[in-house]
Amino acid sequence: MEGTTLKRYFTGVAPLAVLSVLLLAALFMMSAAIQNSAVFGRVYTALLVINLFGIVLLLALILLNLFHLIEQHRARVMGARLTLRLLIMFTLLAVAPASVVFFFSLQTLNRGIDNWFDVKIEQALDDALLLGRAALDATKQDLVKSAQEMATELQNVSSAGRPGANRTVLAALNNLREQYGVTELTLYAQDGRIIAASGEPSLGTGTLVPDRPSDAVLAQVRQGQTYANLDVIGKSGLQLRVVAPVYARAVGAPLRLLQVLQALPTRYAKLGESVQSAYAEYEKLAYLRGPLKFGFILTLTLVTLLAMLIAVWAAIFFARRLVAPIRDLAEGTRAVADGDYRKQLPVPGGDEIGVLVKSFNDMTRRIHGANAQIRRSQREAEMQRTYLETVLTHLSSGVLSFDQRQCLRTHNAAAGQILGADLARAAGQPLAWLGENHAHLAPFADAVDRALGAGQAEWRADVALEGQNGRRTLMLRGTRLPALGGRRGGCVVVFDDVTALIQAQRDAAWGEVARRMAHEIKNPLTPIQLAAERIRHKFLRALPEDERQTLDRATRTIVEQVEALKAMVNAFSDYARPAPMQSRPLDLNNLIRDVAELYRNERAPEAGGAPALALELDPELPWITADAGRLRQVLHNLLLNARDALAATARPEIRLGTRLVRDGERGYAEFRVQDNGPGFPPAMLERLFEPYVTSKEKGTGLGLAIVKRVVEEHGGGIRAENPAQGGACVTIRLPAGAAAADPAETRGEVVPLTRTRMEKGA
Amino acid sequence: MVASRKAEWLAAALAVMLAPAVADFKAAEVRPKFAPAALALGGRLELDLTPNVEEALAKGIPLEVIFTVRLYRERKLLWDRRIAEWTFKRELRYHALSGQYLIGSGLPHLGDAPEETVTESFNSLPEALRQMGALDELKLPLPATAAPAGEHTVEIRAYLDIEALPAPLRPVAYTSLAWRLNSGWSTWKVQR
Repeated sequence: MEGTTLKRYFTGVAPLAVLSVLLLAALFMMSAAIQNSAVFGRVYTALLVINLFGIVLLLALILLNLFHLIEQHRARVMGARLTLRLLIMFTLLAVAPASVVFFFSLQTLNRGIDNWFDVKIEQALDDALLLGRAALDATKQDLVKSAQEMATELQNVSSAGRPGANRTVLAALNNLREQYGVTELTLYAQDGRIIAASGEPSLGTGTLVPDRPSDAVLAQVRQGQTYANLDVIGKSGLQLRVVAPVYARAVGAPLRLLQVLQALPTRYAKLGESVQSAYAEYEKLAYLRGPLKFGFILTLTLVTLLAMLIAVWAAIFFARRLVAPIRDLAEGTRAVADGDYRKQLPVPGGDEIGVLVKSFNDMTRRIHGANAQIRRSQREAEMQRTYLETVLTHLSSGVLSFDQRQCLRTHNAAAGQILGADLARAAGQPLAWLGENHAHLAPFADAVDRALGAGQAEWRADVALEGQNGRRTLMLRGTRLPALGGRRGGCVVVFDDVTALIQAQRDAAWGEVARRMAHEIKNPLTPIQLAAERIRHKFLRALPEDERQTLDRATRTIVEQVEALKAMVNAFSDYARPAPMQSRPLDLNNLIRDVAELYRNERAPEAGGAPALALELDPELPWITADAGRLRQVLHNLLLNARDALAATARPEIRLGTRLVRDGERGYAEFRVQDNGPGFPPAMLERLFEPYVTSKEKGTGLGLAIVKRVVEEHGGGIRAENPAQGGACVTIRLPAGAAAADPAETRGEVVPLTRTRMEKGA
Repeated sequence: MVASRKAEWLAAALAVMLAPAVADFKAAEVRPKFAPAALALGGRLELDLTPNVEEALAKGIPLEVIFTVRLYRERKLLWDRRIAEWTFKRELRYHALSGQYLIGSGLPHLGDAPEETVTESFNSLPEALRQMGALDELKLPLPATAAPAGEHTVEIRAYLDIEALPAPLRPVAYTSLAWRLNSGWSTWKVQR
């Protein structure tokens, strides 16, 4: 801040102007002083010093500015080169004429001052002085003569010895003074003592004491010489002084001295003074010619120097000022080129450069506006895209979009999951690439290709994909995208895996069949059984022995088979029973422990021993909300299945495990039953949970179907697999904490991850 | 060799510096003593003019010589205490018509008191210069507070006042040694 202020003091226009005015004023005073001005004469030296100092200061400032400018030029600062060029031009324009004027002024000055001194005038003045002196000499000679006469007359007047002698002398002096008409007469004793004096009465009191000649004069007169001289009294008064010896008549009497003072007549005095002063002035001027010239030349040089320096400074200032907007423009243009569209320049004024700068400002403002608009639009588009992507990502349906060349443009996560392929690699590839690189997707690619080839705006298709996990059915819906810029638009394909849905429908149909069968079959069974028992009761004793055995065997068979049929029908009705769930919070680990306890001690009917039960329960497992009775049934079914599967196994073992699984924000209680038996027959793995699918000789084929149904009623998922280490494994996942979902909703529509894993295992 | 050349240079420089000192102002003898309510000066200053200055005088340029007298009371431990300072000037000019040298003497005064001038005329320059440097019969009024007890010294200086010269001559005078006429300070004991 301070630096800036200081800089402004040194580079601003105000200090320059003030300094210039001060220096010019000082120079003016100096010029006046050298022309004998009384006012400035006294301060001439101070003015000279001030001027020299000011010029040195100015020079230093200019050099400083020049140094900065050259530095900027070297550093290639924008505008420095132009400023320097303008500065040189301005300086040349200012300095050249000033130099010419200076040179001619110098000549004129020299000649002018020399012209003041004319030989004739000098001679005339000399002559005038000589004339004056001659005139004064004549008067002086007259006075000397008179003085000598007076001295002669005074010889007779004794001034010593007798009383009253002095009075006699005085009277004589008075007489002589009046007689010769002189201003003052004084008689001195030899030792310089005043004997008597006579002066004009008109003289003032200041002359009461006679004007005594100097000792040198007195000594000269004592030698017998007469002294005569023109004395200067005060500033301009002139008087003639003659001192003559007065010899005594009497032998041995002391010598006396007579001083005669004669004031010059006023006219003479004035003329004499006039000549004297004119001569003196002229002489002085003639003597001062050299110094005067020097002074004038000095002043002129200083003025020229000052003018030039001011011009140079002004050149620097104006060059900077002129270049500033151009430099700003250049910098602004560079900034715009670098992408800074917010640049606004200060408008320097109403001239053409001002208009240019204003136009530049308008331009940048508009570009900035347009740029901001573009950025806003981009941001909005980005937001739209993000929104769309988010929606697509969280969509359970698979979405693929193809461009007009049938190349894959976008896909969502569900699409990859449903198709079982890494679609990131397929991005940008044509549709056929999918079929070529993923053999199981060939029907899908064909179906889409066919539909696109048909050129319909909207279409639907069902595709069956054969995969490792069996046959899956996809339902496809396609829509042509709007054309853009005269080019054919691409298309969007949305598809769902409807395998589970179809499965659910199949399950529902089975349930209905089971219910009807139970109803239709169960009704006649009891009469059949009763009839058979009645026949047996009535005819057993009536028949002969051999026939009795036949009847007994036949009716027993009927009753037994009816019982078996009843059991089967009951199982059917269990499967189809739409009884309401009684959900409440329960600890799955406890339930498992209870059920496992039952199987721990039970002996297998036809095996060497009970399978070993290993519990691997996770203590951190959260509580779940479920129907305890049905879960108990699920556990029974699974354990029975496992036990039956282990009948021929040497060291049978069943592992029961639980753990907490997190999928996103939701937690699941996972329950696993694993045995070391022969595992599920691979051919059955796909339809394991369908009714009447069984590998057992005596099974109804409804056990696992019921298990799956119960699990789905609880909003969970189930998976069966043959682990690599052997045996069979069934895994069940139930949502932790939450209440069991509505069975209608959850049939086949469980958590995606669970479903995916189910599909792999199912 | 080099040393001797240096010595030569030094000698030359000294010669140039001392040249004007040949014709310079000098306090030859000063006999200050206390008079009633005044300090009486006696003795004289030798005022010699250089040819340049003499020429200027002959051409009618008046010369002003400024005399400064300072009275100190001596103190043993501390520096001397200045009691009074007087300044007076004497002007020397040539009167062409009469061929005389005029001396206008300002009477000594204390501080800024107004100056009175007495004019005397002399036929020759040496006579005039002798009179100009004469300090006899010069009584400097003592300030009322100054007590004449104790030991006292007087410092005296006389110099040609360049500022009193005509303006055009001043730059020349300032830059020329010939015009630098200055006695410098000299100290004299006040007699009882």
